Amino acid sequence: MMSSEIGAGLAAVLAWDVLLFLLAGTLLGAVFGALPGLTATMGVALLTPLTFWVSTEKGLAMLIGIYCGAIPAGGIPAVLLNIPGTPASIAAAWDGYPLARSGRPGLALGVNALFAFLGQFVSIVFLALAAFPLASFGLRFGPAEYFALAVFGLSLMAGVSSGRLLEGLLAGCLGLALATVGLDPMTAHPRFTFGSAELLDGLAFVPAMIGLFGLGEVLARMMERSPGAAAAPAALSRIRPSWPQWRRMAAPGLLGSGIGTLVGAIPAAGGDLASVIAWEQARRLSRRPQEFGGGSLEGLAASASAANAAIGGAMTTMLTLGIPGDAPSAVLIGALLIHGVQPGPLLFRDHGALVYSILLLMLLAAVLILAIGLAGARPLARALRIPEPWLWAAVILLGIVGSYALNNSVADVWVMFGAGLLGLLCRKAGLPVGPLVLGLILGPMMESNLRRALILSRGDWLGILRRPLTAALLGAAAVSLAWPVWKAWRTRSYSAPSAKA
Amino acid sequence: MRRSELAAASSFLLLGVLLWSAAAGFPPGVGGLPGPGFFPRGIGAVTGALAAAWLAKARRRPAAAPEAPVTGASQAKRVVLTVILLAAYLALWGRVSFPLLTFLFAALFLRCLDERWGTALPLALALTASIVAGFEYGLGVNLP
Repeated sequence: MMSSEIGAGLAAVLAWDVLLFLLAGTLLGAVFGALPGLTATMGVALLTPLTFWVSTEKGLAMLIGIYCGAIPAGGIPAVLLNIPGTPASIAAAWDGYPLARSGRPGLALGVNALFAFLGQFVSIVFLALAAFPLASFGLRFGPAEYFALAVFGLSLMAGVSSGRLLEGLLAGCLGLALATVGLDPMTAHPRFTFGSAELLDGLAFVPAMIGLFGLGEVLARMMERSPGAAAAPAALSRIRPSWPQWRRMAAPGLLGSGIGTLVGAIPAAGGDLASVIAWEQARRLSRRPQEFGGGSLEGLAASASAANAAIGGAMTTMLTLGIPGDAPSAVLIGALLIHGVQPGPLLFRDHGALVYSILLLMLLAAVLILAIGLAGARPLARALRIPEPWLWAAVILLGIVGSYALNNSVADVWVMFGAGLLGLLCRKAGLPVGPLVLGLILGPMMESNLRRALILSRGDWLGILRRPLTAALLGAAAVSLAWPVWKAWRTRSYSAPSAKA
Repeated sequence: MRRSELAAASSFLLLGVLLWSAAAGFPPGVGGLPGPGFFPRGIGAVTGALAAAWLAKARRRPAAAPEAPVTGASQAKRVVLTVILLAAYLALWGRVSFPLLTFLFAALFLRCLDERWGTALPLALALTASIVAGFEYGLGVNLP
């Protein structure tokens, strides 16, 4: 019975027209991922209506291609321009961009493509083997656990801030404060909107991200650039890592794949949180933690694999329980329903062959985007040879139009502009931008879940802490914050006697 | 204590106080449960406390040698000009045809970065054409 379903599922996918739809979807996904402001969610949502007139397999091939193609491609502008193409590639910019600036853009793009494939591959294998246990783990998360997960994510600011704990935490608080703009999530009371209707929905996250990373970076570099200086010529010789580099990146890549799959399976957690957690854990376990944030191959491998492994995790929860793991999989549920397929436990009983078709489509999309990523690395890396003023003009215009394209709203472009100025100020004041973005992402999740948890426990704070998973996550957050303080204290206490001697 | 550090820490202290006091004006929660002001007030308190700690830490640090200016006057002037150009571009968004406005912005921006008119004008035209072709015709975005 099962083998016949596997055979039918594979046969349905291995038809030339289905493969053509998959290729088209993957290419379109790469475009959506690589253009700042256009996201995987937007790509899946925009192209879902196009699949109404084709068979379920062809429609799914296109949408899965977009989803699996956009996330790795989001790392391309993150590496080349310091503008994450999708929220999941924020952490890829932290090490990818310094790597590209140091004359190794080809290698940075190659590592991004290879470890994106590793992340997707591991998560697909996991989806095939452990769909049910993993999805039920995600179901154990209630509001208290989500709040604790957000606190744990925020505690990672300590690592993201590379030795500037106070500054990092303050930048994170600024992000949390900005996340409170708009209607209160529980009572719909307007907060800090100053009478503006555009601000009722809150500050749009994607334009803010484009401004902080894109415009802010351009303005900061304009401040540093001496008149008439040209961009340094980029070395394009190597795309694939050497054997010693492979050995260094294997463990963080696998760690990122594991973390990405697990975090992706938690509904609404997504690749952005997964990549930040994986980056920080890889930094802690690394023998060269000081390189993280300054062009570490291990950091890039961990973040790229985690961001992409989250796809398999999100698909696991979606297929087995009918609960979306992230925003693109939420749109995919809608597309499946339009095609008469109800995701959830019954999917495996009623459409067993389709589940295997989805698995194979994901695997083929991962291979396709790897080939596209490796073949495109060399021409894309040449973008860094373009004189900086030309590149800056392109980045600013792409940022403006990308922010506008999100909702056809000029207000979003103003948000991008304001965030760009804030990014410049942060850089000038020595404040890390990463924690600010993390605060913006996690703020709404943290607030609404804390308040829900307090309603459920009737205002009893200890009731929240009594939940084992919540206590474990909050404990991990406390350790995460205390660790750098303890390490600094230990270094001081060791160096003081030696200085006296 | 560095002047920029003092300014940044003081700004955060002010932000914390402002958040706290503004959130105090929000309606209270029902039945003793947290209301709309609960979370911003908490962030305000944490921000204020962290900023105060930063100020105290910076004060304990021995005075550093006077900082050499990293940014030259011409670079700063360019950034200010770019910000003004961007603000003007966004203020005119929707009132002037998008291709014309974008072309003018790109040309003036490149000129402000010392590119010659001979380079700035064709490059601005190419950038505008690519943006319009890619977003409006390729992706179906309704540009103003």
